[in-house]
Amino acid sequence: MIRCPIFFKLRSGLMLKISHLSKSFDKVQAVDDVSLEVKEGEIFGFLGPNGAGKTTTISMIAGLLTPDSGTIQIDSMDIRSSQQKIRSIMGIVPQDMAFYEELTANENLRFWGQLQGMSGTELDQKIPYYLNKIGLKGREDEPLKKYSGGMKRRINLIIGLIHSPRLLLLDEPTIGIDVQTKINILDLIREASSQGTTVVYTTHTLVEAEELCDRIAIMDKGKILALGTLKELIQIVGEKDIALIQGEFSADQAQQIISQEKSIDVITLKDGYLAISLDASKKVPGLMKSFFNSGISVNDISLKQPNLESVFLKLTGKELRE
Amino acid sequence: MKRVLLLTGKDFKRKWKNPVVIIGFMLIPLLFTFLFGFVFGSSQENIMPTVKVLSVDLDDSLVSRLYLGSLTQGELKDMINLQAVSGEDEARDLLDKGKASALLIIPSEFGEKVWTGNPAEITLIKNPSEQFLPQIAEEITETTSLVFSALLQIFSEEIDQIRKFSEQKDISDQIISDLSIMMKDRIGEIEKYVFPPVVSIKQMTQEKDEEAEEVGYSVQSYILPAISIMFLLFICNIVFEDLLREKEKGTLLRMSISPLQISEFIWSKILTSALIGIFCTLFLVGLGSVLFSIDWGRPGLLLVIILSLNILIAGFIAFLYTFIQTERQAGALMSSVIVVMALLGGSMVPISNFPILVQKISRFTVNYWGLEAFRKNIMREPVSQIWLIILGMLVGGLLLSVASSFLLEKKLKKGLYR
Repeated sequence: MIRCPIFFKLRSGLMLKISHLSKSFDKVQAVDDVSLEVKEGEIFGFLGPNGAGKTTTISMIAGLLTPDSGTIQIDSMDIRSSQQKIRSIMGIVPQDMAFYEELTANENLRFWGQLQGMSGTELDQKIPYYLNKIGLKGREDEPLKKYSGGMKRRINLIIGLIHSPRLLLLDEPTIGIDVQTKINILDLIREASSQGTTVVYTTHTLVEAEELCDRIAIMDKGKILALGTLKELIQIVGEKDIALIQGEFSADQAQQIISQEKSIDVITLKDGYLAISLDASKKVPGLMKSFFNSGISVNDISLKQPNLESVFLKLTGKELRE
Repeated sequence: MKRVLLLTGKDFKRKWKNPVVIIGFMLIPLLFTFLFGFVFGSSQENIMPTVKVLSVDLDDSLVSRLYLGSLTQGELKDMINLQAVSGEDEARDLLDKGKASALLIIPSEFGEKVWTGNPAEITLIKNPSEQFLPQIAEEITETTSLVFSALLQIFSEEIDQIRKFSEQKDISDQIISDLSIMMKDRIGEIEKYVFPPVVSIKQMTQEKDEEAEEVGYSVQSYILPAISIMFLLFICNIVFEDLLREKEKGTLLRMSISPLQISEFIWSKILTSALIGIFCTLFLVGLGSVLFSIDWGRPGLLLVIILSLNILIAGFIAFLYTFIQTERQAGALMSSVIVVMALLGGSMVPISNFPILVQKISRFTVNYWGLEAFRKNIMREPVSQIWLIILGMLVGGLLLSVASSFLLEKKLKKGLYR
């Protein structure tokens, strides 16, 4: 995992450059004019709900899908003309457990490492190092089918990391795992990044994106709605909180009440559901009083302080879990 | 090539760790061979089964005894096991219990009718619970009755004399001498018409038998390769199921973001299936020699036959997979295709039993060519004929593999990322 410092100096500092990338399937626009740049060693996250276009974007970066238009450059090489070279510096951790369950951890890591061109000596050093890191030392000779779900997830990640790729694509690698395994996986990703690996990470978990990513692109319906650091994204909602109100009211009734209040921005409004941006401490009591005076019953109100979730809500008008 | 070998090694390791299905597929041909050998006899000479026939002689005359005796003469004694039973009821009871394949009843006054030249009838009752053996009994008794009737007609004059003499109490030496001279003269008259063709036919048949015995073409020599080829197709199919499974599971996706080419992945499957097939065939051939004393013919040629056959099988199965989209389709379609191919190609029934048109279709099956190669080597037919089949299998296998690699590459690349 140790890289030569001179090697870094020769680099432009830009690992991934995407320009006006679009892809559609039949009549569905999966990716719509996406442009972005990712620096070497950066952890870049694609955040969005299912169907936002994250996986399609990743698969085009991996060279598995041909874009309808736009270009992708990896380490200053065009993906169409230098696919073979690019593959040798890339690694992937797919959503699926992409390994052989009949084989042991040792056999799997050795096979995938050799496939990436690693020598036996290199593997002799790296396999114990990684197994130790993920707490599976001593169980390396057991077939993976005997492992728990969390252990399998960790092996799935290590297979993508073993050959120290310069660009690592991670497609929701923490789906369905326990907190301890998640912490372990996120630590390994940070370590890889600190040693020079550029990480492109897709997730629909806000906390993960907040904790892990240096920069985040919020995607929905194939478009990038916002892109920046966590701090930059939170500025989109400013100092305002988000209030989610559910009750027995029509959209017209709620609109009538809101229009009487100042400094409240409506994010989503439909029968029985209202999402608004406001200074909660000053505005919520008055608002509740107005609802009460109008004879409207409010069943639930939740407040969200400025964070990635509120940014997502503000940008898309919906919660990420929807 | 290095990566193809790496993938092949990995697949070998996987199959080695989970060998149950392959071992099962190897045991079935051995079991079939054992059962067929058990039913039809294991020695090379005794391919035909012995038919057990019960006889009830209600006449108990010289003629009836002569007739029953004729059924156990010469080669017939190897085919018919004739067991005399005293009463018809007892015989029917034994037949009901499945103790015999047929029951032959000779009615009373049978001998008298024969002596007087009147039509005489023998009853044959077949065991309804059997199909094959009673048929043999019927054929044999029909033929024997025909020959017996012909002989009675030819020697009618002499038989009449014998009948008259048999009625006399004292038969002088002169009478026997006259009768012998008369019989000799009659045989002399008819021998140029009857005996030469019979003798020559018998000689031809015997020569063929001797040849078959010499090269050791037994029931097992046919059954084991025939069933083995069918199950080699199934074993090869197991390896190719991984093509779709690896796509489904994401390992192919992972490989496609590595220096590996998809075509290398496909070739690794072809190589793996051919190698596993070769190992399985060698195992079956070895056990065939040990358990069933099968003489497989020239060993060098046998090895080349095994190699080329498995290349053909791998190429053929790979080609079939170019038409298959999902694992479910593979499960349903491949078994049907393999069974139909086995039926047409002679793995289940010798193709000589098929109509000419079907025999021609058989030539388009892997089973046919594999079986032909094994048979010709066992029968020690000219080497040039065997090499021609080997060449055909090699070229066919390689062409199918190249075509499959090209077509499957396109197919596998589609929809890798869901």
